[in-house]
Amino acid sequence: MGAWTVLQERQAMLLDPAIRDWVLIPIMFVMVLVGIVRHHVTVLLSGTPKKADLKSARETKALQRAGILRAFGSHLPSQAFETRKVYLCEAFEKGRYLKDPDAKNKPKGNVMQDPAYVETMMDGMKKNMMNIVPQTVIMGWINFFFSGFVLIKLPFPLTIRFKSMLQRGVETSDMDVSWVSSLSWYFLNLFGLQSVFTLILGSGHAADAMRDMQAMSTMGMGAAAGPQYSPTGQPQDMNKVFLSERENLEIAEHEWGLDNVETRLLVKYGKKPREVLLQQQEAKKKRLTSTSSTTKTTTTTTTSSSSSTSNASFQPASVSMARAKKSKRA
Amino acid sequence: MVNAAKVLQDLRASAERKPDVVVRLGKPLIISGAVKKLDADAWLVYEQVAIAALDVGDELLAHKCIEALEAKFPGSARVRRLQGMRLEAHGKLEEASGVYKAILEEDETNVLASKRQVMVLHAMGQTTEAIAALVKYLDINYTDFEAWLQLGDMYLSEHMYPQAAFCLEECLMLQPQNHIFHLKYAEILYTQENYSLALKEFCRVVELCKDHVRGLYGIKLCTSHLRQNPRLAKDTKATNQEDLEAIDLLATERLLAVYSSDKAAPSSKDSSKRWLESL
Repeated sequence: MGAWTVLQERQAMLLDPAIRDWVLIPIMFVMVLVGIVRHHVTVLLSGTPKKADLKSARETKALQRAGILRAFGSHLPSQAFETRKVYLCEAFEKGRYLKDPDAKNKPKGNVMQDPAYVETMMDGMKKNMMNIVPQTVIMGWINFFFSGFVLIKLPFPLTIRFKSMLQRGVETSDMDVSWVSSLSWYFLNLFGLQSVFTLILGSGHAADAMRDMQAMSTMGMGAAAGPQYSPTGQPQDMNKVFLSERENLEIAEHEWGLDNVETRLLVKYGKKPREVLLQQQEAKKKRLTSTSSTTKTTTTTTTSSSSSTSNASFQPASVSMARAKKSKRA
Repeated sequence: MVNAAKVLQDLRASAERKPDVVVRLGKPLIISGAVKKLDADAWLVYEQVAIAALDVGDELLAHKCIEALEAKFPGSARVRRLQGMRLEAHGKLEEASGVYKAILEEDETNVLASKRQVMVLHAMGQTTEAIAALVKYLDINYTDFEAWLQLGDMYLSEHMYPQAAFCLEECLMLQPQNHIFHLKYAEILYTQENYSLALKEFCRVVELCKDHVRGLYGIKLCTSHLRQNPRLAKDTKATNQEDLEAIDLLATERLLAVYSSDKAAPSSKDSSKRWLESL
């Protein structure tokens, strides 16, 4: 207790009221203003939303359809499942759902010459710029004029771990943690002004600081993963995606969920003991293992390729698998 | 006032169609002008109340809402769709269809307008055209289970049972937990005289929704058919004889139990008993 009061007394630092009037409040004021301006500029820049293309919507929905069939096909009677499976496999192979069925065999030109792609890319760049530039400028301003300023004292004690958070830019080891430096005040504002903006601009505003963080992280990721996975939407070769989905669909096994529904119902109403269900499951498992031992090789391919789902980068592997399967059938 | 806005917002989020509630809550908001205090949400309330007002036939209120929206968003496709709905409410189907067609010419992906277009065709009695339009819509918007359900109903009205069954199968995949879809599918199968499959689907209904009376009746009907005609049940996937008897017994027992509760009307009690005895 004694040591604590000594520490308190020693740090009875007084802050010049001019710091409050000319640093603390201006930083907050500028950040609020910049947020509002950014909101309006973003609204201006984004303009009218781009019209969705009917055919590309159809493309993605077709893929979704195959996915739903694989995931929830167990609710269908087996005949209904098989009909859909055969239909979708054929449609995918022939590229019936492709945006441009004739173009599937043509070699792809340079993506940079595709105006649609360049446009989406520019849009993304503009948005990223709108997010990053103002924050960089404010941070530079604070760093240049107010570096090393101590602005406020929090009214409660904190542990030493908070030092790096609250005293960024002030490299003293002894100062009490509840003092907040100018740069840290900037960060507190950056994350804390969210609800103030909601008050001023209403919900769904574009002044959100968290978005900056997202933009920065996706930008970093885009650079790391190369142009193939750029967040602005690199055009994928949909034909390849469809073919790999066809692979997944072809090996999807169907197990009807209603095979033993009568037994389940009887168990539910207590007409049969619960053990009957367990016995049925055991019997089914036995049957499956006895049949699958003969076709063990195919089941291993099933697991490996279903894990790759529709990821285009795994394409060569699943294509070669398809070839292997075809030759086996022949 | 705050509460009314909150309830309206909840109704919008859950997409429930309760026109009476919406009009009762929304009318004072709009007439007193208090709706303006909701800022951006105000326009959503206008749209919601406009549709509800058309539903309950409150023409003046609908007019007021649509006028306000028109003034705020001139030329918007969403507002024009509301105007189309107002024309529909007045019975001017041809004009409404023209409005929707104009919207779709500008933006062929407009989901709201294409759905309305289908329903206008349906209302005009051109079911074949409506089915064609709906099939085209579903080819693109595959995940819209309500549209599948509607298509199923249209096929049923044309007595095209296999097609209707297909639509209901899609609903089952998109909403597997909904016992109503299972029930409807089971009934279509029963109509197609596919009793063993229908029995399983009826069982599923009762499994999902305990003591579902319609499901229990379905089970009774299927089992009686299967018992009278054992060759129907020869399929390997069908229920075996022992389970069939047990399920039949269970359905009878549950039906009697449901009707013996105090809430059941005595007349329905008697008629159900007589029906069960007649099987």
